Amino acid sequence: MTETTREQTILADLAVREHRSLWGDAWRRLISGNTSRIGIAIVVFFILTAVLAHFFWEYNPRIDLDYSLKLKPPNLQKTEEIPSIHPFGTDKLGRDIFRRVVHGGWNSLRVGLVAVGISLSIGGLFGLLAGFYESMPLGRTSRAVLSGLVGLGLGALSGWVAGQSFQAGLFCALGVATVVLDDVLADKPPLRMLLFGGVGLLLGGAPALLVSSATAAICAVCGLFIGAVVAFKLDGPLISTIIMRIMDIILVFPGILLAIAIVAMLGPGLDKGMIAIGVVGIPVYARLVRASVLSVIQEEYITAALSVGVGQGRILFRHILPNSLSPVIVQSTMGLAGAILSAAALGFLGLGAIPPEPEWGSILGDSYKYMTTGAWWAMLFPGLAIMLSVLVFNLLGDGLRDALDPKLRV
Amino acid sequence: MTRYIIRRLLGLIPTLLGVTIVIFLLMRLIPGDPAVAMLGEHAAKDNVERIREQLGLNRPLFLDKEALEQGDVQGFFDSQYIRYLGRLMRGDLGASIHRRIPIANELKQRFPATAELAMCSMILAVIVGVPAGIISAARRNSIWDAISTISSLIGVSMPIFWLGLMLMMLFAVTWDWLPIGSRLDHSIELDNKTNFFIIDSILSGNWEALWDVFKHLFMPVVALATIPMAIIARMTRSSMLDVLQEDYVRTAHAKGLRERVVLLRHALKNAFLPIITIIGLQTGSLLAGAILTETIFAWPGIGKWVYDAILARDYPVVQGGTLLIALVFVAVNLLVDISYAFLDPRIQYE
Repeated sequence: MTETTREQTILADLAVREHRSLWGDAWRRLISGNTSRIGIAIVVFFILTAVLAHFFWEYNPRIDLDYSLKLKPPNLQKTEEIPSIHPFGTDKLGRDIFRRVVHGGWNSLRVGLVAVGISLSIGGLFGLLAGFYESMPLGRTSRAVLSGLVGLGLGALSGWVAGQSFQAGLFCALGVATVVLDDVLADKPPLRMLLFGGVGLLLGGAPALLVSSATAAICAVCGLFIGAVVAFKLDGPLISTIIMRIMDIILVFPGILLAIAIVAMLGPGLDKGMIAIGVVGIPVYARLVRASVLSVIQEEYITAALSVGVGQGRILFRHILPNSLSPVIVQSTMGLAGAILSAAALGFLGLGAIPPEPEWGSILGDSYKYMTTGAWWAMLFPGLAIMLSVLVFNLLGDGLRDALDPKLRV
Repeated sequence: MTRYIIRRLLGLIPTLLGVTIVIFLLMRLIPGDPAVAMLGEHAAKDNVERIREQLGLNRPLFLDKEALEQGDVQGFFDSQYIRYLGRLMRGDLGASIHRRIPIANELKQRFPATAELAMCSMILAVIVGVPAGIISAARRNSIWDAISTISSLIGVSMPIFWLGLMLMMLFAVTWDWLPIGSRLDHSIELDNKTNFFIIDSILSGNWEALWDVFKHLFMPVVALATIPMAIIARMTRSSMLDVLQEDYVRTAHAKGLRERVVLLRHALKNAFLPIITIIGLQTGSLLAGAILTETIFAWPGIGKWVYDAILARDYPVVQGGTLLIALVFVAVNLLVDISYAFLDPRIQYE
């Protein structure tokens, strides 16, 4: 008998060890912690109750009304006075709060989920593009398309002023021309700007002369400006800067204020609330994804992929996207908590679900109005539901962060 | 350094211009006519038209094409937005449509109310949050760590409107200990010099007023401080845990320094950069209007003012208030960035 050495055991071990994927490992790490186990259990419980209640426990908020049961405190046993059981008590219209809280969960969780979906998909795409193009040069064709689009967009203004929409087409062509004539005065940027600005001046001003001289003057100034803009080398970093500047503008508004303004614009309703909260969250994801892409793009495997001639689109979606996902997953889970909280805040202010539709925030906003009656149960339980659901998503986010990347610690 | 600050300030101009455009457009897109909102739904058409003209609402939003077609270049630029920008350049924020009070005057009342609330909340959050985080990190896995970690997790998940309601239920409705609904009792007279009531009452030596101001502040401050407190505690804990693993901390221990000296002079000093960042960002967002807290406690601050104005289509108030909020937010962010250079000599801006 030969004695097996330690190295041989390890080798044999490796040979028979089942294949473990990255995500499988992360999952194992996730469920190994007690706190994240509790988090997952309660999240599943919340989702299950909300979904089951929605589909199997019939509730029509429009006919739910019983003045004989007005403002009864919680009871767990039937009495002569209260013939039915209300574990969370009843509200001012005699509605069972337990029932409304359970059904409200469907609405509240849904708002959170859809809102995060909106922010994640739009913000994530912006962040991906901004991060990618910040460090990647654009191809000549892409640059021509970009310049053409800039010319088209800005030219539309001049076209609108003069009432001659074909001007937008002229400026589009000018944009493409600047890329084709890349070498013209490339070493003297001011002269180059002057040259294309002059062409723009003619393109804008000359056709507008047919309308009136005042219009022509304005269009000429417009054209000068557009020409000068497209004379710049419109390249990747510029796209990135523009995207991030727009994100900065959204970020400057306090979230809840912007959400209120958007809901005021769209009109009240649960779906409008989703959109509002979703829009407010866009810059958060854009910044996160951009930062994540910027760090991934410096890795050696990206350089390797580039050097063997992999296309930009393939690099972006096959190499960069999967590798920059983990902070995004963590942020989305915590963002879900935040979105549920914002949705409840909107509902509380009366800008979310339209009554009598149950939603945690609006149930709370309702009971706020008759607080002086001392009906503490009408406020305690919906609020507790909001807090608990936000808490467990935060807990889950913490667990995910430790599981996906132990180095990331906030 | 100066160059960096100047560049940052210049970079703010397009952002703030963008903010004015966004808020201007958003307000105009909200259905409803302020003139009708002012006069009531059954007002005569002529009157509505006259008010619209007075307020400049009959002008086009950005550019007037019709004027240009008649050869009127000045009329072309005479639009609502450009008029608004022009007034803004002259420092004129306009007047509230509904209450006819100049916005600048009202800001002098409202901003101190919000600032007082925000600063008190931030002080509370820091004096509770930072020590909680330090203890938590220094006694890792102890019962204190568990208590601090769990309560800060609950804190970050707290719907503050709910917390506010429960506080009110307890302290105002059930026990009737604390007042709600204003900053100071009507029966108390206070000489308002700065509109910061704490400062005012100390300046005039009016101790009865000071006590009453604190009683009014208590519930909103606790509600508003909860989330920043929890975030600061979490940040302090994780930042301290990082630093406590460093070699120089072990050296300090080995030298036989007292634990307190190691924690505060060696560890905390180095762990403070991320904590300062969080404190700064949170201050910015608190100053930027604690809409929910102010609404629940009927606190006469910026947040509630802008919120009411959005619902009432009071364009100038929303525009002025939001611009101020954005300015404060941006300024605090800039200050945080600049403070890095002072806190950490390794960071240099050029």
